Amino acid sequence: MSGGTRLALALASIAQMFGGFAVAQTRSGPAPASGRLQAVEEVLAPLVESYGVSGMEAPVRETVQRLLPRWARTETDTAGNLWLTLGQGEPTVVFVAHLDEIGFTVTGIREDGTLDAVAAGGLFPWLWEGRPALIHTGGRSIPAVFAPPDSAAPPPPADADPMVRVDPGTGSRAATEALGIRPGHTVTSPKRYVRLLGSRATGRSFDDRVGSAALVLAARRLDPARLGHTVIFVWSVREEIGLEGAQAVAAALGLRPARVHAIDTFVSADSPLERRNFAVAPLGRGPVARALDNSAVTPPAYLDSLVALARHRRLPLQVGTTNGGNDGSAFSEWGVPDVPIGWPLRYSHSPAEVIDLRDVAGLAEMVRASAEGW
Amino acid sequence: MPKPAALALSLVVAIAIAGRLSAQSAEPALSDLATRLAAMTAVTGYEQSVMDSLVALLPGAVRDRAGNAVLVLGGGARRRLVACPVSEPGFVVGNVRDDGWLTLRRAPGRVPPAVERQLEGQRVDLFGRRGLVRGVVAVRSIHLTRGRGVPARSFTVDSAYVDIGAATRADVSAAGVEVLTPLALAKDPQRYGPDLLAAPVAARRTACAALVLAARRAIAEQGMVPRGESVVVAFVVEQELSGRGLATVAHMRGPFAETLLVDGGPGEPGGISRGADSLARRWPALGPVTRWALGARYFGTPVETTSLAGAEGLLAELGRWIGGEP
Repeated sequence: MSGGTRLALALASIAQMFGGFAVAQTRSGPAPASGRLQAVEEVLAPLVESYGVSGMEAPVRETVQRLLPRWARTETDTAGNLWLTLGQGEPTVVFVAHLDEIGFTVTGIREDGTLDAVAAGGLFPWLWEGRPALIHTGGRSIPAVFAPPDSAAPPPPADADPMVRVDPGTGSRAATEALGIRPGHTVTSPKRYVRLLGSRATGRSFDDRVGSAALVLAARRLDPARLGHTVIFVWSVREEIGLEGAQAVAAALGLRPARVHAIDTFVSADSPLERRNFAVAPLGRGPVARALDNSAVTPPAYLDSLVALARHRRLPLQVGTTNGGNDGSAFSEWGVPDVPIGWPLRYSHSPAEVIDLRDVAGLAEMVRASAEGW
Repeated sequence: MPKPAALALSLVVAIAIAGRLSAQSAEPALSDLATRLAAMTAVTGYEQSVMDSLVALLPGAVRDRAGNAVLVLGGGARRRLVACPVSEPGFVVGNVRDDGWLTLRRAPGRVPPAVERQLEGQRVDLFGRRGLVRGVVAVRSIHLTRGRGVPARSFTVDSAYVDIGAATRADVSAAGVEVLTPLALAKDPQRYGPDLLAAPVAARRTACAALVLAARRAIAEQGMVPRGESVVVAFVVEQELSGRGLATVAHMRGPFAETLLVDGGPGEPGGISRGADSLARRWPALGPVTRWALGARYFGTPVETTSLAGAEGLLAELGRWIGGEP
């Protein structure tokens, strides 16, 4: 072992043992955040570290409300969507980012106290098996573990919903129930926002906390008095299980919106593991016009307008196509053009998604420009 | 980039403060010490940081030529050895690509099956020349596998690409990361249930924590070791590779009248399984070898789970063993 490596290991471990005392001395890497990126982190980190599996988004919604400017008067509809309406007059333009994250929903409690849980949203279950877990009862988060896979069990049918077993360490059904755990509660793994080198960061549920953060950042910089039309920001619920919150918003607004911008992930092939046939949007080169996905196609004239706006404002903007659906497509039956804007994300729906903070800052600027100048 | 001298000074200061803390503070609770040790990383062959910490916790302990942390209790001629292995499965950087991604090589030694699969899509910690570097191991995006005939699960260590946020080889170098930089899963031990601790190698680290506290009590209560005896307490390296650490203790400090190897193993959390160990045949200087294994559920996984209440029983038994009780 080199002397330097050994020193690094020694300092890091001593810091770990004695309460993290030397961490600041031993951390290498992330550049100090500029004011612009620091502002992004101040909004994004608390959103990432809030928990909200589809249907239990309240903690995330509360974080958004806390981060919005004091003047913001929000409303929560019966579905749980959070609305912020700015300006007045037509045209009405809607921006939608979703609050929820993937996770698991408890379906049953076994005699030994362990839980059966089914995936809420698309995920590879093995990335969670054998990891720490948190059971969210609505009132509190109870530590547990996702049981490792049983190598002796037969493999589940290929078309079965991904299921996992969660062990709260109680040993019996009665003891589990005594903790207040019930079917319908949700399960996630503990998560943290962590800076990597340069302007990169990792965490879980960047999809779509980045979009949620971009709306908050845009709202902070918008002057509602100077808007010449109505802008509606919506933080939606239950996107990951079928765009359910956005459907409620679309139904409420009907024919009124002139266009809708889903502010959501652009799943990028910017990784050695991915085929690069499409979805190639490198991290750090700005937000992405998600011009075609599995749910919607941006009308070409609208795409051209978005690109022209970015050029006029000198904002970086990539244009691409990726997989997945977006909340804006829920408005399609009302004839509302869907112009989704995303940002490049690596390793989507995994415990360790990666972003570039510059893209988040650019996304917020693009939202602001689209609200003010289009 | 910090100069080596500055780093060395930082280390000295850190150890000094650690020593002061360990001397001034109340005796740490076993549960806290076990959790802290479980949060630390000691990839086979790269255990020295943990050893430095153990030495700081044990007044009078030294590091020997193999890198073991060794403490001698008592001064008698009849020697007994109690040892706890520290090493764990892990990886080193095998190559740095021009585009900033890192590829891996598994550290040698016997490891539980499928240990490399545990890395996929998870955070990792790298211990570079300039300090701790955070990273993640790449995983396919589920959206991009749909409808494309891409095998969903084909992960091996050869498909492990580590992303530390670098875009170029120069970025990697500037962060102090290079070929042979050790890395392992980022650790965040989970306390759950009434008294359970989950983490990679949790049972082994908890057993070592119990031995640390037993040794500290023996230091504090002079005369605990029977007259005419000495007890060598050793935290040993590379147990799953060649047993080099334990062998070095045998050769340097033996022969021993008997050896007790304290470790973790599969079983009921917190239970202690006892048995003879074949190590004595390899190194006769160890004398008869008994193995006490603190039981763990989900053994060999990132949520290896042991019972901290059970570990209290191990701590008590270690105290009796050091005191010469059969």
